[in-house]
Amino acid sequence: MEDYMSGSEEDYYSSDREDSLDGLENDESDSKFVQYKAPSCKVITKESLLSAQREDLRRVMELLSVREQHARTLLIHYRWDVEKLIAVYVEKGKACIFAGAGVTAVEIVNLDPPEASSTVTCNICMEDVSATGVTNMDCGHCFCNSCWTEHFIVKINEGQSKRIRCMAHKCNDICDEAIVRKLVSEKHPDLAEKFDRFLLESYIEDNKMVKWCPSIPHCGNAIRVENDEFCEVECLCGLQFCFSCLSETHSPCSCLMWELWTKKCRDESETVNWMTVHTKPCPKCHKPVEKNGGCNLVSCICGQAFCWLCGGATGRNHTWSNITNHSCGRYKEDSEKMAKRAKRDLYRYMHYHNRYKAHTDSFKQESRLRETVKEKVSNLEATDSKLRDFSWITNGLCRLFRSRRALSYSYPFAFYMFGDDFFKDEMTEKEREIKQHLFEDQQQQLESNVEKLSKFLEEPFDEYPEEQVMQIRMQVINLTVITDDLCKKMYECIENDLLGSLQFTIHNIAPYQSKGIERAAELAIGWSTQAGSIKKCQKADGQANGCIIESDVPSASGISDESEHSSRKRARKGSFESSLFDLNLPAKFN
Amino acid sequence: MVDFARVQKELQECNRDFEVSGIKVMPKSDANLAHLLGTIPGPLGTPYEGGSFKIDITLPDGYPFEPPKMQFATKVWHPNISSQSGAICLDILKDQWSPALTLKTALLSVQALLSAPEPDDPQDAVVAQQYLRDYPTFMGTARYWTEAFAMTSSLGVEDKVLKLVEMGFPEALVRSTLVSVDGDENMALEKLCSG
Repeated sequence: MEDYMSGSEEDYYSSDREDSLDGLENDESDSKFVQYKAPSCKVITKESLLSAQREDLRRVMELLSVREQHARTLLIHYRWDVEKLIAVYVEKGKACIFAGAGVTAVEIVNLDPPEASSTVTCNICMEDVSATGVTNMDCGHCFCNSCWTEHFIVKINEGQSKRIRCMAHKCNDICDEAIVRKLVSEKHPDLAEKFDRFLLESYIEDNKMVKWCPSIPHCGNAIRVENDEFCEVECLCGLQFCFSCLSETHSPCSCLMWELWTKKCRDESETVNWMTVHTKPCPKCHKPVEKNGGCNLVSCICGQAFCWLCGGATGRNHTWSNITNHSCGRYKEDSEKMAKRAKRDLYRYMHYHNRYKAHTDSFKQESRLRETVKEKVSNLEATDSKLRDFSWITNGLCRLFRSRRALSYSYPFAFYMFGDDFFKDEMTEKEREIKQHLFEDQQQQLESNVEKLSKFLEEPFDEYPEEQVMQIRMQVINLTVITDDLCKKMYECIENDLLGSLQFTIHNIAPYQSKGIERAAELAIGWSTQAGSIKKCQKADGQANGCIIESDVPSASGISDESEHSSRKRARKGSFESSLFDLNLPAKFN
Repeated sequence: MVDFARVQKELQECNRDFEVSGIKVMPKSDANLAHLLGTIPGPLGTPYEGGSFKIDITLPDGYPFEPPKMQFATKVWHPNISSQSGAICLDILKDQWSPALTLKTALLSVQALLSAPEPDDPQDAVVAQQYLRDYPTFMGTARYWTEAFAMTSSLGVEDKVLKLVEMGFPEALVRSTLVSVDGDENMALEKLCSG
C-alpha cells in the first residue's frame, strides 16, 4: 500500500491524469475497499457483557493469582484500566494495590474451627448465634448471617453494590461478592439479581474504554474501543457517534471545538454580539438602530431623534455641538474599536459558518444521490456494455460522502484553529498565518476535487454512450483516490503540523478513517450468559476466553497499523500503551 | 424495622457504666424506642466543661445498618455543630457509619468532637470563621453558651423563674410555661419568645 501511494503521488496534483491511470490501478483501488481491517471497536450487548470482561478479569487473576471476585474488586477500583493496575503493581507491589482496593487475599486460617454446638456473640445484633450461622469475611471479621444480609440489602439499595465494605468499624475491606450473592439471594432473589447487574455493568459505567451507545431510544448496547478513545464509531443500531464526547461525529474538529461550535451556531451569538456593539435601541420604539452617518444625532425610522452617545431621546434641535457635559466623548475611540472588532469577528464567523453549512447541505442533498445512482447502475447493467463492474460508482459515492463530511467539519476546525479562542498564545501572528495558508491550501484542493467528484456522479451517465461512460469512470476512479488521499493529508496536517506542534493545549481528533466510520463488530459470545450466572461462566472459563482471544488477535495487529497515521501526541501515548501490551502479550496467548 | 432487641441491650449496656462515662441514653417515651434522648457531659478542659448536653436521637428503620440521626437539643457554640439547628457534622454519622458502632460509641465520638473541633470542615460557617480568626472570642462565646444553655439544670425552679422574669416575661406566664416543659429553662424561653 505504501509503495502504491508514493508511486503515484505526483499524479494527484496534475490536472490531466487520465493517461496515468490504467486498469491495474483501478483494481487496486477497488480492492482497498474490500480489504477490511480488523475492527478496533466492539459492540457489547446485554448478552455479551459478561464475556466482554472475562479477558480483563482473567489477566488480573493470572497476574496476581487471585480469585475472580478479588480481580473484579481490584478492577472496579482501578476503573477497569488493566494497564494502570499493572503499572501500580509493578511500581508498588501487590500489598499496596490490595490495600488500596480493599482486598485481603491472605487466606485466613481459622485456628479453632467452630463446633456446631458452640455459640458466638454477634457484635451487631448482640445475640448469641450458633457457629454455623455466622460468616467470616476475608478480613477476618465475623458476624451473624442475618446481620450481614441486612447490611448487604441496605448497601445494595443505597446503590453501593460495587463497594460494599465490611461491617466492622474502620475496616476498608470489600465484602466477597460470592458471600453477598449467597446471603442476599436467600432472602431477596430480586435484589441479588440487581447486585449482579451492578457488578456486571460496572464494566461499562466505570470504564473509560467502554461507553453506552447514546441512541435515543436507547438500543441497550455499549461500545468498547480497543486502543484509542478518540475515535468515531457506529453502533449495531446504526447510530454513528464520536466515542469521546458521544455527540455526532465531527472530525477533524476536536470535541471541545465541536461543543463550542454547536453552541455558537445555536445562539448565533456573533450576530447578537455585533448588534449590541453596532446598534442602539431607539428610546421610543426600541428597535435596534444602526448609525449610517457621522453625526451623533440619530433619528430612527419611527421619527424619534436621539443622541447616539448617551442613547437618550432628544428633540430635533438637540445637536451634538451644544450637548454639554458629555463625558462619553473620550470613550468614542474605544467603542469604535470594539465595533470594528465585533464586526470583523462576525464576518469571520459567517465566512466559516457559510461554508460549513454549504457542505452540510450538499451532504444532505447528495444523500439522495444514493437512490438515483442505484437506478443508474441498474440501467447500465441492463445495457450490453462490456463494462460489467460498477463498483467504481458506489465507491465514488462513498468517497464523496466521506470527504464531504470531513470537508464540512474542517471549517469549524479552521475557525477555532486560526481564531483567538484557543491558541492565541501558542502561535505568533506570523506562524498562524503560515499555518493557515498551509491548511487552506490542502482544504481548497480537497474542496475542488470533492466538487468535481460530485459533478461527475450527478451526471446522467447511464444515458451516455459507452465511450463517455468509460471516461467518467476514469474520472470518478481517479477522483476517488485523490480525495481519499487529500483527506488523509488534511488530517495528517491537522494532527502533526497544527495540533501536534502546540505546546500547552491538547486537542485530540479522531483519526481519519478512509473507509468511513467504523462499524463496531459484535463481540463473540463464548457462552450463553445472563446476569446472575457468573459462576456458571467461571466453569466455562477456557471456552469463553478462547473466543475473545480469537477475535482480539487481529485487532492487536490493527494497533500497529493505526499508529502510523496518528498524531505525535497520540503516538507517544500509543507507544507507551503498546509497550505495556507487549509486556503481557505472552500471557494473553498462553 | 429497627432492631429493638439490640437497642434495648444498648440502653442497658450504656446506662450501666453511666458513672464512668457520664453518657446516658433514655427513650423519649416508653412506647417508642426509635426516639431517644442522649446526654453527654462537656469534656474537661474545654469551654464546654461542666455543661450537660442533650442530643436528640432518631433511629431510622434500617438501624443499626443505617446510622442513627443525631442532633443537639441543647444550644452549643461549636464549628461543627449548627448554632441554629444543632445539626452535627460528623463522618461516622454519615458515610463512615458502621453497624458495629453503637449509640454509646457514637455519643463518645460526638463528645470527642466537642474537644477537637475541625474548623476546616465546618457545619456552622460563622462559628468556624470566629474560631479561626478570633479564637479568644470564640472561647468566650462557647463558654457563655455552655453556661447559659447547658448548665441550667443546676438552677432551682425559683432561680429559673427569676431569670426569665428579669428578661421581661410576666411571672405567672413564666411559671405555667416552665411547668409545661418540665422545668427546662431553654424550652420555656423558646416557648415564651414564640408567644
